[in-house]
Amino acid sequence: MADSIEAIQKSKKTYILVFLALLVGTVLTVLVAEAPTWATWLQWMDVGEHGFDKYDAILGLLIATTKATLVAYYFMHLNHEKKAVYWIFGSGIVFVLWMAFLLALAYRSPINDYLFYK
Amino acid sequence: MEIPYIVTPRKDTGLINSKIAIWLFLASEVMLFGGFFSAYVYLRMGADYPWPERTLPVLPGLINTFVLIGSSVTVVFAWAALKMREWRKFQIYMGITVACAALFMVLKGVEYNVKFHHQAVRLDDYSVVEGHLGYELKEGADAHHPNADDYVKDHNGDKIEENMIRVKVEKLTFATKRYYAEWVDEMLSEADHANAKITLEADIEATTTEGGKMKVIAKKGEPLSLDLLKKLKDVQLAALKHNAALRTQNLREQWVVAKDANPGKQGWEISDDVSINMDDITPLMLSEVPSATFVVNPPTEFLFKPRDIREAEGSSRLRDDTVVVGELEESPMVFHNVDAVDFQWLVMKAEEKGISPEAAIENSWLMKNNAFVREIWAWHLKRNEAKQKDLNEQYGFKEDENGKPTETPDRVLTHKELYRIGWKEFRDYGEETKGVEVSAVAGLKEEFMGPNYKARGAETFPELSLPREEIRHAAKFSPAWNTYYAIYFTITGLHGLHVIGGALVLAYYLFFGRKMYLENPEWLANRVEVGGLFWHFVDLIWIFAFPILYLM
Repeated sequence: MADSIEAIQKSKKTYILVFLALLVGTVLTVLVAEAPTWATWLQWMDVGEHGFDKYDAILGLLIATTKATLVAYYFMHLNHEKKAVYWIFGSGIVFVLWMAFLLALAYRSPINDYLFYK
Repeated sequence: MEIPYIVTPRKDTGLINSKIAIWLFLASEVMLFGGFFSAYVYLRMGADYPWPERTLPVLPGLINTFVLIGSSVTVVFAWAALKMREWRKFQIYMGITVACAALFMVLKGVEYNVKFHHQAVRLDDYSVVEGHLGYELKEGADAHHPNADDYVKDHNGDKIEENMIRVKVEKLTFATKRYYAEWVDEMLSEADHANAKITLEADIEATTTEGGKMKVIAKKGEPLSLDLLKKLKDVQLAALKHNAALRTQNLREQWVVAKDANPGKQGWEISDDVSINMDDITPLMLSEVPSATFVVNPPTEFLFKPRDIREAEGSSRLRDDTVVVGELEESPMVFHNVDAVDFQWLVMKAEEKGISPEAAIENSWLMKNNAFVREIWAWHLKRNEAKQKDLNEQYGFKEDENGKPTETPDRVLTHKELYRIGWKEFRDYGEETKGVEVSAVAGLKEEFMGPNYKARGAETFPELSLPREEIRHAAKFSPAWNTYYAIYFTITGLHGLHVIGGALVLAYYLFFGRKMYLENPEWLANRVEVGGLFWHFVDLIWIFAFPILYLM
């Protein structure tokens, strides 16, 4: 990839910003999960019921996905890549989602109830 | 040979070849890890036990996340430095990256090591005890600060973990086909150490040639040896092979006779009447020697690992089908330090049966037999009451349809808070009620390595002896304990291998890249970019693995 010197100089600042965003994201994930009892001003972090529940899970995974996107977009240069890369990586993700979808079908099917102790 | 398209992009893809390659690889990696994360979801939804939520130490995991994110930044900076032809800066950034990888693996190693030495056991009533087993000590030794010569040693001179099955062995019956040679050696050595002899109980007679006479192949009183067992095994295998061939041959002949006697009939119509004629072949058969019994004189105490033996009064069986006859002695599992008592599973089972959690806990073996558990449980209940009060003050009560507050609290304590007394509760209990104090450094160390038994002692982490018959399942915190640890070790282990692999490649660029930098710096920059892509991917996996395994 023929990045010019100026472009690289410029993106260095972005890298630092992304780094900081990732650190903040990580701390947020921990706070959401931990529901800190030691700081009242952080109590709003305890979303949903008290302690861990599906809202914490969804929020935690959303933050994780955002962080992963930042890494892929900036560090892995997916913000300016050639088409071939998107096709290759995209197909990998599509297959994973397809598998997850099949998993959901398996969960719904009564034939697998014994697997899930329903 | 000139490698094509490593510096100038290929026209059709617009990319250098190595980049296409790494992205193909990363796509396959997405599917690999995606599979394991799906497995995690599957296991968690299908778990028939309370899933261990937030059971791992968060602090080392958090630090590891920072370390990996940091190294992700330095690896892009290293690449940028190469692009701008700043060798020195490249060295610094790449050096930090590799150092981060090493730090990550060290922390991971500490975490794994703690798990492998931490014992968990589920009792018959589904209560769970966790802690540290320790080794058998001589009488009068200080359990918390033992010297090297305070330990009881076995016949090999090794310390004995207090989790052994003791049998005073009188007789051993080996399955000639599948005895396990290492265990036989072990028994010989144990008997030798105790000045006991293991000898054949009775003559073994066998015919070893077709139509031959019975003759003694092993004499009564012959000492046990691997050679003797090997000889019997050979006789047994040869006899099995020979006799099977005879039976097959005879059955074929019987079929020919039957077909001739019933012309035009299908096989299934006559199959009921066709069978091997044992009278024909019995004289030709070799004798099978399925087992050989040895006498231990005088009867000697042997130690067996719980996973190797299915112990029973009078006659136990080893995993290699060896039958051990003898008196089963008291073989309790002794925790030198208990650091968690968990009633979550017991409560789950009780609720399934419609029993109230409190009654189930009151009637559990631990509560009935251990004063410390009773004390800490009473303290735990009080503390939970206070916690619930705090919650009520902060969040108030649920409102009914008229908007008036009811008696139901808006937020309630979780199952884990209610029914698990973890090591931090043990710590607080010791500090609050018994005035146990440790230094700040020891306290911080605990966040990484788990409970500090030495510093806090038996007042905080008491001893507990569990009778063998109360134990339903016992394991270290390894994949054998439950599916959570199975998937935890699978995902983090695979991820750790990726960290090692990536770090090796990056370290290679760092230490052996100088020559290439001087000859073709752009090539090296491209290599570092590709290596960096892999490194970012490793970071990306951790970004998901951390919350899923540590925080949820």
